[in-house]
Amino acid sequence: MKSLFGIFISALVPKKFRFEFQLALRHLLSGGSQTLLTISAVGAGVIIVIFITSLIFGLEEMMTNLLTESIPHVVVQVKDPKPDGLQDAENPVSNKIEQQTSQLKFIDNGEQVVRTIRGLPNVRGVTSVVSGQGFASKGANPVGVAVIGAEPELLDEITPVTKDLVEGKYRGLGSDEIVIDTELAKDLNVNVGDRIHLTSSSGQADSFSIKGIYDRGQGRGSAYVTLRNGQSLFGLGTSINVIYIKIYDIYDVEDLSNTIMTLTPYEAKPWTKDFSRFLTNIRMMEASAYLISIFSLIASAFAIASVLVVSVLQKSAQIGILKSMGARQQQILTVFIFEGLGVAILGSALGALIGMTIVYLISLLKRSDAVIGGEPASLFPVKILPVYIGAAILAAIISTVIAAVLPARRAAKLNPVDVMR
Amino acid sequence: MNSGNDEAITVDKFPFGENSNSATPLVVETRGLKKTYFGKVDVPVLHGLNIRIHAREFVAVIGQSGSGKSTLLNILGALDVPTGGTVLINGTDISTLDEDELARLRSDDVGFIFQAHYLLNEFTCLENALMPITIRHGEANEEQTNRVLHLLNRVGLGDQINKHPDEMSGGQNQRCAIVRSLANAPKIILADEPTGNLDSRSGEEVFAMMREMNRESGVAFVMITHDDRLANAADRILLIEDGNIREISKEEHRREALRISKQSGD
Repeated sequence: MKSLFGIFISALVPKKFRFEFQLALRHLLSGGSQTLLTISAVGAGVIIVIFITSLIFGLEEMMTNLLTESIPHVVVQVKDPKPDGLQDAENPVSNKIEQQTSQLKFIDNGEQVVRTIRGLPNVRGVTSVVSGQGFASKGANPVGVAVIGAEPELLDEITPVTKDLVEGKYRGLGSDEIVIDTELAKDLNVNVGDRIHLTSSSGQADSFSIKGIYDRGQGRGSAYVTLRNGQSLFGLGTSINVIYIKIYDIYDVEDLSNTIMTLTPYEAKPWTKDFSRFLTNIRMMEASAYLISIFSLIASAFAIASVLVVSVLQKSAQIGILKSMGARQQQILTVFIFEGLGVAILGSALGALIGMTIVYLISLLKRSDAVIGGEPASLFPVKILPVYIGAAILAAIISTVIAAVLPARRAAKLNPVDVMR
Repeated sequence: MNSGNDEAITVDKFPFGENSNSATPLVVETRGLKKTYFGKVDVPVLHGLNIRIHAREFVAVIGQSGSGKSTLLNILGALDVPTGGTVLINGTDISTLDEDELARLRSDDVGFIFQAHYLLNEFTCLENALMPITIRHGEANEEQTNRVLHLLNRVGLGDQINKHPDEMSGGQNQRCAIVRSLANAPKIILADEPTGNLDSRSGEEVFAMMREMNRESGVAFVMITHDDRLANAADRILLIEDGNIREISKEEHRREALRISKQSGD
């Protein structure tokens, strides 16, 4: 007697709710195009949410990556001392604040600090760096250049040089070797293998052979030497003056800097400090994604509510007869909630499937301005976040059920005497 | 009739011989039942009815349109609430029950048959007939299903059980509705012009079914009808007139029917 489907229902639905479930199911099945319409409304809402969030978060990720991949996320250095000025009250010759001299302040327990930072959460890479200013020359004209002394393998993890090389190598940099950018190479008219002269701001000088030339397309870059060379160029002995840190969650950077500043006497500057406007823009993009999502879900909830209101009107006589047979208000309410739930689950599943397919297809579109031989970049930088898809489905289900409650309550309260005339 | 004093007339005349009265339980009893519809103009419909209906009885209720027959039936079935007086269904004063308890009472003790069959088109004949059980218990067990199947066979729907209401005739649907009203083995069935939508032959068939169920299971029937022949086939006839109710003899009913038909020029 029992169909396969009946057995399925018996297995899945508690006996207590079988009447409500059966009736909701029959309503949906007999609803035909009306049911399809409501399912599509929920689906459309979910598709929009998935599409918008994938696109905006993809864009956000691309922009942030572009911005932060070449910079350290946290820079640890010695705090700037407060300039003296008027404090020397005994001999107030001048109240003009002196500019800081280019004298380097150094971190003498560098290794210990690096070890401490490495043990902190969210830290992806840490490296000791000597950073300062100098002059590069080949023959007569010296050109100002920022000099960075670090271990190539470690620095590549943080502010990559190797991937931007146009010639030569960075990894395996020797003690008298240097990597410079194309601008400097052009100014000095040098090439890989040539030797250049480098004088640091603290007066030491040395000559280096060019091992590689890189191009970041961001104007004048730094000149890279080994940590040892940097230390001797700036007369730091075994000390360093900067620590570069790369982290996993780049938006969780403030916490890390604060932790570092409580653990060490040094200043830890998060990348966000220099890019607050960029961050504001990112936040605005996120907010607009959320707003669009919320409005599209609200719109689909209204569509569902209106269809269900009509459905309750159509079924008022049926509700009346069910009540005359002993159906309780709660049961009628549950029937219509189940209907809403069924529409919500089917619609959001369908929407998620179609939405993810669309996003995937879009991610296949490539930009036409790809470099020959290079990997073409995506036209739309999309990012599918499972948590947002889950949230979209959940939000769609919740909004649909809320939309169902109103007509359902109305149905439950119908007086059988009034509707069965 | 002698309309006059406020003293309501108690209608309780048991038809199955003098000595069986005390043995047959009272199913429905009203005391001073009043119903007024409040609105811009308050419309008093029932003026204080005392009715007693026992198990095994088949009672016809007649009266002109708008006389309050349906209102009375809805109140007897706990679908509507009186504005005065007391209604006891199976000994329980329904004014003491909350919404859920009323629903349970309707489920366990009362069956309804309406002029329209009100079967659910989404369900088959059998599923419709089982509906009160499904509502009450979530699902019918084998014994309940067999009992309903037996009833469907009895009313001649044995080969229609998998059909949907729109695939069956009006008479078949109404017979299915009768089985549905019996599904939870109620104490009383309230039928509001159950044959009103049927041609006379189907109407007679349906009535015969109800009479048989009444005799077999002992369930009491209160049937509103405009059909004088069906009213005459009931155990007793109650006439609602001017908001009051009184029992009339079949002889009186015949005279009354003749008078009305003469008045309306038939």
